[in-house]
Amino acid sequence: MIDVAAIKAHAKALLEKGTVRAVIGYRNSTAGLLAEPFVFTGPESVDDLIYGPSCVQNLALYLVNDKKERAHHKSDDARPVAVVAKGCDARAITVLLQEKHFLREAIHVIGVSCEGTGVVDTKKLARKLGGKHAVEIDFDGGEAFAVTTADGVQSLPAAEIMAERCLECRGAHPQLADIAFGEAKTDRALHTPFQAVKHKMKEEQDNRWSFWARQFDRCLRCYACRSVCPMCYCEECVVDSIQFAVLPDTTAEEKANRIKWIERSPNRSESAMYHMVRAIHLAGRCIDCAECERVCPVNIPLRLLNTRLEMEAFETFDYNPGSDMNAPTLTSSFKDTDPNSFIR
Amino acid sequence: MSHNAYLPKLGRIAAIKDEVPGNRAIKTYQIEFVSGDGFEHDCGQCAMISVFGKGESMISIASAPHVTGYKQFSIMKTGRVTTALHDLNVGDIVGVRGPYGNKFPVKDWKGKNLVFIGGGVGLAPIWPVIQTALHHKGSYGKVSVFYGGRTSRDLMYKADLDKMREQADIHLSVDAKEDGWKEFVGFVPSNVKDKAPSPDNAIAITCGPPIMIKFVIQNLKELGFTDDNIYTTIENKMKCGIGKCGRCNVGKDYVCVNGPVYSWAALKELPPEY
Amino acid sequence: MTKTMAMEKMLNKADLAAWMGKLETHQLFAPMLEDEGVWNYAPVVKAADVALDQPNTVRPPKDFVFPQRETLYRFEQVRGEAPVLTETLPDPQPSVVFGVRPCDSRGLVRQDIVFTKEFDDPYFQGRRAKTIFVGQACKVPPSPNCFCNSVGGSPSSEDGLDLLMTELDGKYHVKAVTQRGADLLAKGGALFKEASASDKAAVAKAHESAKAHPQRPIKELGKVAGALKQNFDSKAWDEMAKACIGCGICTFLCPTCHCFDINDEVTCSSPCKGERVRTWDTCQFPDFTMHTSGHNPRETLGSRLRQRVCHKFQYFTENHDMPQCTGCGRCISLCPVGIDIVSVVERLGQP
Repeated sequence: MIDVAAIKAHAKALLEKGTVRAVIGYRNSTAGLLAEPFVFTGPESVDDLIYGPSCVQNLALYLVNDKKERAHHKSDDARPVAVVAKGCDARAITVLLQEKHFLREAIHVIGVSCEGTGVVDTKKLARKLGGKHAVEIDFDGGEAFAVTTADGVQSLPAAEIMAERCLECRGAHPQLADIAFGEAKTDRALHTPFQAVKHKMKEEQDNRWSFWARQFDRCLRCYACRSVCPMCYCEECVVDSIQFAVLPDTTAEEKANRIKWIERSPNRSESAMYHMVRAIHLAGRCIDCAECERVCPVNIPLRLLNTRLEMEAFETFDYNPGSDMNAPTLTSSFKDTDPNSFIR
Repeated sequence: MSHNAYLPKLGRIAAIKDEVPGNRAIKTYQIEFVSGDGFEHDCGQCAMISVFGKGESMISIASAPHVTGYKQFSIMKTGRVTTALHDLNVGDIVGVRGPYGNKFPVKDWKGKNLVFIGGGVGLAPIWPVIQTALHHKGSYGKVSVFYGGRTSRDLMYKADLDKMREQADIHLSVDAKEDGWKEFVGFVPSNVKDKAPSPDNAIAITCGPPIMIKFVIQNLKELGFTDDNIYTTIENKMKCGIGKCGRCNVGKDYVCVNGPVYSWAALKELPPEY
Repeated sequence: MTKTMAMEKMLNKADLAAWMGKLETHQLFAPMLEDEGVWNYAPVVKAADVALDQPNTVRPPKDFVFPQRETLYRFEQVRGEAPVLTETLPDPQPSVVFGVRPCDSRGLVRQDIVFTKEFDDPYFQGRRAKTIFVGQACKVPPSPNCFCNSVGGSPSSEDGLDLLMTELDGKYHVKAVTQRGADLLAKGGALFKEASASDKAAVAKAHESAKAHPQRPIKELGKVAGALKQNFDSKAWDEMAKACIGCGICTFLCPTCHCFDINDEVTCSSPCKGERVRTWDTCQFPDFTMHTSGHNPRETLGSRLRQRVCHKFQYFTENHDMPQCTGCGRCISLCPVGIDIVSVVERLGQP
């Protein structure tokens, strides 16, 4: 079991000593079952820090946001920022380090092992509870969650309500950590990696296209999938039109000639372009935190798109993003042993 | 059914004048309505100019209401639509819809001295007020115009301002010293401070870059102008122009409908989100 | 919509499909569970499958009157010549939307204000005139984040509706709120029986018990606008927006949010041919207020959260004497990171 009190004590000590600027972690949300990412800045605020199966969000995103905010406020506090990181969060941080988004010494990683369980999938939980609302969820030993509803507490097998990505997780214990909590169990052996996408790919091509056409038609283009992705840190995104980088010396011509790769209209062709370009830009970078899929308000199974390319990176190039901060990135490296079957 | 507010009227570019060269070029356009179905406007109001295929931009109408043959717009090249406008020629057709927004309360200013303070392309929104005051010369008191730019090449309406000297006090400025420049050297707010126009029975009207407006207002207040005797205009990004798309919303106001003209007393009440 | 004499009828639940069958002049919509596990409005294919007492839809019914994409007009222009502009006002088939929750119909009332004040919006109004909204009173709050009572509404509010249906023990009590609602009811003919005094008493009791169900509270609604104004400069805005990812979920799926963008979508460059299109936009996106110069009056997440909350609970209230929030709870339940408008209002919108 994860010793949450120990995590809190560590976070508190860091803030008390002033060795970090802040601790990025989780606290209870008033909005529902899931935790709320929070930036703890004072030692006393750490009393609110929680850790449990409701801590689904990938906190690496907040390191990216922290960097933007510091630039905005021209902060000169050089101390590192601490971040609570599950296996997937730590993999995301590793990719960001590989891409030189920030320096290793700028962050203090408080690793938390997912041990035998991962985090909850609220949609699965809602189906399991059939109409009852869960108000609390906690770990219940290594293989179950304790779920509280109006009817009391019940123990549910974690494998039944765990997020899909956790079932397929290949690195439940954070390999990048300044301190780690929990048992270093990495292999859960619940589902084989890429199981969901492999299953989907067994379908006929026409069926797969009609499946995705329907999904692209349903897309709202709220950009939650892009906004929640720690790897989507570009100042200006080629496929979303909500963010422009305009500098004082950007000329009128540069603004006028900026290519609109996709229109804002949420229709099949524009949304297909949006999702596919995003997936391709994540190839070899996506660490399968599946946040894009979780946040989608209309349940578009985006994880299938991204893991499809991850599977390619893994099976073709034996590349596992987020496993080694000193390794060159997939798209910036070449090995003699790389297959070249795709070059025609 | 009333006219579809989103559908522009067609305007033909009757004349184009190069005002300011360079990266942030300014050109002045006279636009005539193609089928005589134009509209009347008040001082301070704006219109949405369309370049089809590029989009629309909200531009203040720089001609005075008494000028009826055309509408004048002075446009700085700054983004997609304005760059496209700068590529157009005399005779080309654009879309024009409006007029939008509130107006300068010029009728309330009869008998008062008017102090205009403009910077760069910010002379355009207050130009119709200047024209109106001079057109009805007997109705208003003394007219003074402070106007400045980074360099003398950045000043627009130069010939008009020269002609105006007989009827009004014209105080030009450039930010830095240059050869042959005989007038004030320094920023516009400093020129105002230097000439110290009297606040007695006077209204000050200012438009220009936000930083200029900020210091102009500061200096006007030091000279004794009260908040309700200082007027300015604000610009926010706009799309619909008719109070629906929400983009220009500041506090309870939609700038396209409730603005762009504000007394400093009224503007102070809004959140500083412009 | 003009109000009419209260007309109250009873319909056996089993006869709902028969009534729908008599409405062939209209296209019918009702909440349906999509394959992806999401409730949304969809055309009624089999009336017998319609389920009205379900969780609220993810997309609010504003889609019917303010679709996410609307073509304003088409243009075609040969360079140097006059363009041809073709107006594309909507002329939809008349439709009836069933299962509309009272919070969402109160959202339509707020949309009505925006799209008719100062300037008429013929696109919105054209669709509004052709769409009949049939409400479904809530028995219990469909979501743990419901708070209609706290923003001046109720689980049986009639605002913005043409008909209100209330489920009563195997039957629906159906009340006509507008003339066109009454006309729709009349098409059911003998399927409807006059509501008796005891039916009316039962409905009143059902409405009362629904209203008594605990909801998320806002203690003093009347003081929210003033308190928000006082707290404009509070540091808490930034703190509460720390978790915000800056997506469009809270606003796109809000029944009252009405902001949009207008763009030219070009299909051919010479002659220049295309459409001027409006699409939903949101104050939560970074470029929403960014000037062409790059200056952005609302650059930070905190300032954008403040805009969303203050627009709903201060600015709209100052202008129209009602909050622009109807308590549907979507923005809370669907927020990826738990940003909770009720908590924000409780913190910064109370004296």
